[in-house]
Amino acid sequence: MVENKQQWKAWLYLSPAIFLLLVFTVWPIINTLRMAFLNGYGNMAAIGGATFEFGIDNFLKVIEYKQFLQCLQNTAILCVATVPISTILALLIAVALNSIKPLQKTLQTIFFLPYVTNSIAIGMVFAAMFNIVGLKQGSNIADTWGIINNVIQFFGGEPINWINAGSSYVANMAVMVVYIVWNALPFKILILLGGLQSINKQYYDAAKVDGTPKGRVLTRITVPLLSPMLAYVIITGFIGGFKEYSSIIGIFGDKMGPADAAGRLNTMVGFVYDALARDRQGRASAAALILFAIILVVTLFNNKVIKKHVHY
Amino acid sequence: MSKKILSVLLISIMLVSTLLLSGCQKGSKDAFVIPEEGFNPDETVEITFTHTMGAKLQEVLNTYIEEFNKIYPNIKITHQSAGGWGDINGQINTEITGGTQPNIAYCYPDHVAMYNIAKSVVVLDNLIASEMVIPGTNEVLGLTAAQKADFIESYYNEGLAYGDNLMYTMPLNKSTEVLYYDKTFFDANGLKVPTTWDELWDTCDKILKIDPDCYPLGYDAEDNWFITLCEQMKTGYISAENGGQYLFNNAENKAFVKELREYYQKGYFTTQELYGSYTSNLFVETTDTRCYMCVGSSGGASYQMSNNDTADGSFAFEVGVAPIPQADANNRKTISQGPSLCILQGANTTDQQILASWLFVKYLCTNIDFQAEFSMTSGYMPVIKSVTENENYAAWLAKGNGKEYLVAKCVQVGIDGRDDYFVSPAFNGSSTARTQVAALLLTCLSGEAADDAAVDQLIDDAFQNAINECEY
Amino acid sequence: MAKNVQDVMQSRDIKKISAVQTASRFLSKFATYAFLLIMALIVLFPFYWMIISSLKTLAEYRQAVPTFWPRQLMFSNYAEAFTTAHLGDLFLNTLYVGLISTVLSLVITVLSAFAFARLEFKGKEALFGALLATMMIPGELFTITNYITVNQLGWMHTFTALIVPFLVSVFYIYLLRQNFMQIPNELYLAAKVDGTSDIKYLWKVMIPLALPTLISITILKMMGAWNSYIWPKLVANDAAHQMITNGLRNAFTDTTGQANYPVQMAAVAIVSAPLFLVFLCLRKYIMSGVSRSGIKG
Repeated sequence: MVENKQQWKAWLYLSPAIFLLLVFTVWPIINTLRMAFLNGYGNMAAIGGATFEFGIDNFLKVIEYKQFLQCLQNTAILCVATVPISTILALLIAVALNSIKPLQKTLQTIFFLPYVTNSIAIGMVFAAMFNIVGLKQGSNIADTWGIINNVIQFFGGEPINWINAGSSYVANMAVMVVYIVWNALPFKILILLGGLQSINKQYYDAAKVDGTPKGRVLTRITVPLLSPMLAYVIITGFIGGFKEYSSIIGIFGDKMGPADAAGRLNTMVGFVYDALARDRQGRASAAALILFAIILVVTLFNNKVIKKHVHY
Repeated sequence: MSKKILSVLLISIMLVSTLLLSGCQKGSKDAFVIPEEGFNPDETVEITFTHTMGAKLQEVLNTYIEEFNKIYPNIKITHQSAGGWGDINGQINTEITGGTQPNIAYCYPDHVAMYNIAKSVVVLDNLIASEMVIPGTNEVLGLTAAQKADFIESYYNEGLAYGDNLMYTMPLNKSTEVLYYDKTFFDANGLKVPTTWDELWDTCDKILKIDPDCYPLGYDAEDNWFITLCEQMKTGYISAENGGQYLFNNAENKAFVKELREYYQKGYFTTQELYGSYTSNLFVETTDTRCYMCVGSSGGASYQMSNNDTADGSFAFEVGVAPIPQADANNRKTISQGPSLCILQGANTTDQQILASWLFVKYLCTNIDFQAEFSMTSGYMPVIKSVTENENYAAWLAKGNGKEYLVAKCVQVGIDGRDDYFVSPAFNGSSTARTQVAALLLTCLSGEAADDAAVDQLIDDAFQNAINECEY
Repeated sequence: MAKNVQDVMQSRDIKKISAVQTASRFLSKFATYAFLLIMALIVLFPFYWMIISSLKTLAEYRQAVPTFWPRQLMFSNYAEAFTTAHLGDLFLNTLYVGLISTVLSLVITVLSAFAFARLEFKGKEALFGALLATMMIPGELFTITNYITVNQLGWMHTFTALIVPFLVSVFYIYLLRQNFMQIPNELYLAAKVDGTSDIKYLWKVMIPLALPTLISITILKMMGAWNSYIWPKLVANDAAHQMITNGLRNAFTDTTGQANYPVQMAAVAIVSAPLFLVFLCLRKYIMSGVSRSGIKG
């Protein structure tokens, strides 16, 4: 009887969410599926009176695309590189922030400031940090090397062409990784700080009495007890990472690469956008579904791995 | 859990097969047919106008909406800004899909090509030709011969750039590319302002001998440069015929790109992307590395202004403005850009709304005072010749000089060059071509290549890549 | 004497150990602070950039070599920002949308997360999996369909169109569910035996325990309202409903129609100030944690 009561209660509690999701998420998904299986579908063309046949041409077109593998590769690299780095950094910051006494309030406040910073400013800072201005052809004279190169030069290193015309793929990717990690940090710190507060202080008091070293407290108490939040941050991080797009626009602009290699840093979602901009909703939907399938597999895998380590 | 997700997926896919209906709505590519009763000035008509004007320009617009309403008090116009140029296109696309598009929109040719796929742009030919007199006024609905002749021809012809000889847009205001140069420096060194590319390279060489650390020339927009050269030399870029063709992958274009590469390697010029910032920054620079000539938009004149933060408040140097160099004196071509207006239609659009929209579009494009004030506020060029009849405007233009009134001077140069303008054709995909030619030019200019054969290979590959991306 | 020596040695050892301990404690404290300060600088940089940009002239802002301190402090940017845009209206609109959608969204999220974390029902796992799956499709594809839906519902140019489509976030349901799962089930069962209703239990136990997470969600949701741009522009860009980002993006343009970023940044700084104060108050709740009384491991 308790079971039954729980049944209808659960659906009652879920009903507002489910109703809204049906209208504003499930229905668009069904529409996406429809467009993906209509050969060469375009919204504008449909309004213009064109008709489309059922088929899988859109999927074939996506796979045929010469840069398709490049898009996949960029997406995968960005994901695999940024999620662990940003998660570990955020964890360390959250734990450190939680453990100090003097300056605690000031530092906490500083870590909240990104939430009231304009996104245009965030994009600009990076341009200022990595952009080389006025590098002369065949010489080693530039108007400015950017802050990062100034630091490298200060330590006696050779400046690197990070994002400008003629820069290397590795350098571009390195900048993207730094930028994405940086962008993701404030959110992760916020979530993990919230999570840390839910941990019972008794554990720490016990550890203190036992004289457990700090590193051990972190790996044996904090991480396991924080594991539901860590799992959350990692899984949503991967999902977000696979949908990476706007950060590349932020640094490289619409051309998705250094000026002489447009599209080199394009990602799957970038591909979707390009297709949308040319009224190719069918192709965009097909690419989105392929991406969806990939994320699904990775998330299921993540779930399997994480489930073993999450303690509720 | 995975099995269950899969089953959910399968169910969704099955749902889809029941929903394979694609909508079919009103819309045709024939010119708008004016209803027999014509425009009815007594009926209240509400029309909407989406643009990208900033606060200052909106003030000007509001003033002239009031003026317009003195003639047509029953046409109610609401207008809104859609943000920047990058935003308006996407917004209107979505609105067309939802059937809620505005009646009038700011547009670039690329945008119109997209709206055309949905057959949402009103073809203006019949409206322009109409001699119907509007009741209660002595005005005709269409354009009079005098009004037509008053338009700068190339601007007017932009409305025809869609490969089917139908008129889709009316020009509102335009900008072009001009050559800014440091007149003080040119005078001091006895340099002549180049009018052809050959003269330009000569001048670059001379300037480098005077100041070995400089870039003689800064060219802001790589895509415009490529497109302009194609047009000046008639070597082919793109064509709007048969739904769009990409013509730029040819030997002539490769030859001029190779030539440009040699000049770049000699240090004759830089571009915005190669430099890493606006080349206008190099141009206004007085102490560090600088450039003495700069090709940029006439609309950006205020950024080319030399500094007057010297001790006595005088300007560091005088800026000269000239038309861009040409390849062929008999085929003078300069690119023209800037917004036009299009009238949009959907299933719910009434004929009266289209007529009212046309009257307002006609008003904005042909009203001397509006054109004058808009030009003075925006730094863009008016599209009609008679605008100088406006006394304020004539006085404003007359003040034009290379120091504090550079904007006016620039507009004057733009007006003088009105016979040279061209607009590159537009279709769904022409904006991809733009991005791709800019990328290929940059690759060809700065790419590493050991010898001449490697350079040729580099150029071949870059062109091939660009064409692949366009044709995908 | 031997005993004496032993004593001395012992006390020496203790001193040594405590010296080592203090040193290592000092070192680890130092390392912690150094790490936090460096990360703080990195995170702070964009904020700093926003402030100095808001004080530059447009010409200086566009310079090739950016300056780290404005050559001339343009406080007039702030005055211009204040007079050009209708900051008051924009602020109130955004606050209204932000508050309503945060409150409604919290209710929906709490109820859903509770169902997923505490109740047993058929198809729970599958439903949760399906919800997660919806996160994996790029949301941009939804825009056009949702636009048509909102239009057909007659919600164009209303606050409803700005609030309702984004009330449910799987992202936050998932987050809160994770948090709720950490609260021991025994508490719920005990409450059931006591005859406490679900809602009362949620209100008295779950919500206080999950307060830091709920406040995180509040902050993120409010910021969402502050930063939303594309959707509001489509459905409610009229003066009566315009949101802050939409109002700011277009209000400040120079004569050629290019954005006057310094003034725009000044405007952002102005409207961010009250928001920042609210965050400071919320921060206390996130950081101070909650009383743990009555809960065991």
